[in-house]
Amino acid sequence: MAETEPRTVVDAREESCPGPITDLAKAYRRSKVGDVIELWATDPGVKADVRAWAAKTQNEVVSIEDQADKVVAVLKIHRR
Amino acid sequence: MKRVLIIGGGSGATFLANTLDRRQFETTVVSASVLHMFQPGLLYIAFKNAPAGITRAERRLLPRHVHFVQQDVTHVNLREHRVRTQAGMELTYDEVVLATGVQTAAARIPGLEEVNAQFGDYHSTIEQAQKVWRHLAEVRGGTIVIGQGAAICKCPPSPLEGVLLAEEFLRERGLKSRTKLVYFTPYPRPYAAEGINDIVAPILQARGIEVRTFFDLDRVDTANRTIYSIEGEQIPYDLALIVPPFIGAPITYEPAEVLDEDRLIITDKFSLRVKGVESAFAIGDATNLPTSKAGVGAHLEAKVVAQALAAKPARFDGRTHCPMDLAYGKGTFVIGSYAAPTVKYAPSRLNHWMKAAMARVYWISLRGWLDPLFDVYFRLTAPEKLAARKAHRLRPAA
Ligand SMILES: Cc1cc2nc3c(=O)[nH]c(=O)nc-3n(C[C@H](O)[C@H](O)[C@H](O)COP(=O)(O)OP(=O)(O)OC[C@H]3O[C@@H](n4cnc5c(N)ncnc54)[C@H](O)[C@@H]3O)c2cc1C
Repeated sequence: MAETEPRTVVDAREESCPGPITDLAKAYRRSKVGDVIELWATDPGVKADVRAWAAKTQNEVVSIEDQADKVVAVLKIHRR
Repeated sequence: MKRVLIIGGGSGATFLANTLDRRQFETTVVSASVLHMFQPGLLYIAFKNAPAGITRAERRLLPRHVHFVQQDVTHVNLREHRVRTQAGMELTYDEVVLATGVQTAAARIPGLEEVNAQFGDYHSTIEQAQKVWRHLAEVRGGTIVIGQGAAICKCPPSPLEGVLLAEEFLRERGLKSRTKLVYFTPYPRPYAAEGINDIVAPILQARGIEVRTFFDLDRVDTANRTIYSIEGEQIPYDLALIVPPFIGAPITYEPAEVLDEDRLIITDKFSLRVKGVESAFAIGDATNLPTSKAGVGAHLEAKVVAQALAAKPARFDGRTHCPMDLAYGKGTFVIGSYAAPTVKYAPSRLNHWMKAAMARVYWISLRGWLDPLFDVYFRLTAPEKLAARKAHRLRPAA
């Protein structure tokens, strides 16, 4: 993926109920085909949610990475 | 004396006005309505045909020293500390607190306005909630679809509470075998937070409620009585009770950048100050805080702002504590914070009773008189504490 691709960073760190998946759902609603969404979260459950979400919506998980202070999931939108 | 202007006359605004020290502050509350509604009551009007007496006069909920102005605010200039109303009134302040809540925005989803006008909803007015009841009471069979139309929902447990109460109603009426109940949500599981989902998912299954997850409502086709998701799925309905999207109050701000795309006020999640401006706080549903839109939050946030205005140390921890009705006389609580994930809190009759008692306690709680009690209760039920007590009275629920 080219470094120059436009990305929407969704910062969902330290959120209380209902949590990061809300932000992903919001970002998805705003997105267009070809967009890249980078989701930051501290809730470890986000990894399974992101994978399940991508499988269901037929979008792509480019990467999910554990960083020192957060989980970073990069998603590419193929279907809207 | 510092002049504090509180915009809004709901849970957060009213509690804050009751809390501010009259010797330190000259407080004015400006609200679009002379009435104050106990909004959780809408759920019981819609699903239990409860009496409609869930409003009181806002003036009578405020101490006498607080000025109350009934005006629709249209412009807030956060740089010049000036506020304008629809009727042309101008108000000024030293500190402002924005507590204007959210309103339903069915028009954001094609067809939803029409379907909500037809069958009602339980997140706006008493009339709309009564309409839900009328349609539910007429059901003789068919598919009833209940769900959450957008990612952000006022009172996150309320869409599920609706479907659970509808199921109880259908069973009591002996209509269960002739009806199909479908619950849809944009989330990966029935309840977004996992602790509570662990409680609710088995209950939904045991009660025969079909769940459609990842169903992001795209449009409603009222002619063919079908709802469609962005993901390309569809659900036909005979009766559809859909919680609409929510947006902030239609107020023009200067600077405009304090609002996000849902007209929610961009607020620092710890200090509750409006981002980028001085002398302005926001509390309750009106904010973009990453926490549940609930009266409990508005109350706790108002406490933090009262401290900050009094120049005392103040920090909001994101605490949620929302009661959730599981029907058949049982309930649970959604308890969490920014730092602690939502707890798996065992359902009980006591929890349900506490939610029911809130209908009366609410009006007194706005005056702040019960706060010493609430403080103790919230400390005892802190999510960190509950999580530490590993085997927390967990009984199978159904
Ligand atoms: C069905 C249902 C069930 C619920 N159950 C629960 C529950 O069990 N527990 C819980 O904690 N919460 C519950 N809630 C949520 C709770 O009611 C709200 O979160 C709470 O009222 C938010 O308080 P607030 O002060 O932020 O906003 P609100 O109480 O909504 O008040 C907003 C105020 O702003 C005023 N206003 C708006 N626009 C303007 C304007 N332009 N100018 C002047 N004034 C304006 C309005 O008149 C109103 O007085 C429930 C809500 C619903 C709908």
